[in-house]
Amino acid sequence: MRKLAIFVSLLACGFLWPLRAEGQSASQTQANTAPPHQTKGGLAADPAEQQAFQHEFDDVCGRTQDAMLLTKDELKDLMRRCDALVPKLTKLDETQRKVYKRRLEQCRGLFAYVLDTKKDSNK
Amino acid sequence: MSSTRRRIRTSSLRAAAVVLLCGTFIAVIAVQGQQVYLQAAAPEDQFGDVTLNQHVTLDNGPVVFNHWLHRAKFTCRLCHVDIGFAMVANGTGINAKTNEEGFYCGACHDGKRQFGNVTVFASCRQDGVAKADVTCSRCHASSKTTRKYSYREFTAKLPKARYGIDWMAAENAGVIKPIDVIDGLSIAKQRINNHAELAIAPQVQWFTGIHFSHELHTKWNSCELCHPDIFPTQRDRAANMSMYQIANGRFCGACHVKVAFPINGCNQCHANGPMWVNGPGWIM
Repeated sequence: MRKLAIFVSLLACGFLWPLRAEGQSASQTQANTAPPHQTKGGLAADPAEQQAFQHEFDDVCGRTQDAMLLTKDELKDLMRRCDALVPKLTKLDETQRKVYKRRLEQCRGLFAYVLDTKKDSNK
Repeated sequence: MSSTRRRIRTSSLRAAAVVLLCGTFIAVIAVQGQQVYLQAAAPEDQFGDVTLNQHVTLDNGPVVFNHWLHRAKFTCRLCHVDIGFAMVANGTGINAKTNEEGFYCGACHDGKRQFGNVTVFASCRQDGVAKADVTCSRCHASSKTTRKYSYREFTAKLPKARYGIDWMAAENAGVIKPIDVIDGLSIAKQRINNHAELAIAPQVQWFTGIHFSHELHTKWNSCELCHPDIFPTQRDRAANMSMYQIANGRFCGACHVKVAFPINGCNQCHANGPMWVNGPGWIM
């Protein structure tokens, strides 16, 4: 019985090990899968708040194309502004929240990526 | 006593044999797993088709989305950044409600938006803007499905590549003019300024490297579409980037296995193809 248990567990290891690489790639792919944003609509309740959110969102995420030209401090500031927008997402409707959340993640992720790249190149 | 010893020795030998067998089994699977299995590319008219089957009903089958139709009119960036479509099938969470609210497909397919002299039909609308039995079948596969565009007719005047359409040539020739910005959806942005080109060294000596052009890739994309989700920092990806990973849909494979030209043509990226190939380097 014990031999059988050893055999089964070793066999299971044999099957699971190669799947590990696939699992890793699947989880990374999944990171891109969560739905992103849209600029239509806005905060459901307060139009003024909606406008402020929209303005800030557009201002921050509109900087992604020239991210490589920004200084480290500018990048850090943009990341901070992305983080400041996150709590405001909770006021959005479900789909809006999902869309904007992903969009914000993309913006912040890029700024962090560029910052990281700049740090690496200075080493 | 001696029979007990013999029994112990026999069971030890058996255990060792089992371990050896399993070890060999694991090693074989691991080695096989690292090989690059290039799948034959789908027929041209189906390449890039995405089947969305999360919300299938008796009346409406899965949605089959044609990339070839939409990429002729819009950039990748517009849909995958501004509108927010995920990069994998069924990863977005599209349903009739989200479309009706004006998100995802409904961002353009609202029955009002105009492109040229065409009013885009409304998707998933039950409010009388469009009759459900007509609009559903434009996207959902069913016995009543009526596809308005056929691949052959639609692409007849587009320049051809070794495989499918040469989209880059089509745009350069002005045959297509993909829209990158839509009012109410997009954020006004400058075009990307960084056109750095990267030399990517091969991991094996018998293959030539890649000369990656940011300029070409940012014509239809934006930075945040690729970084950091698909391409993390150099340091993070150095250990993982391989043809095995690419063939499995990571890195370049996130687009080039599914929608952009398939990776089966080695020398479309590896300038001179594999070292031993003097021809087109096309694996089908």
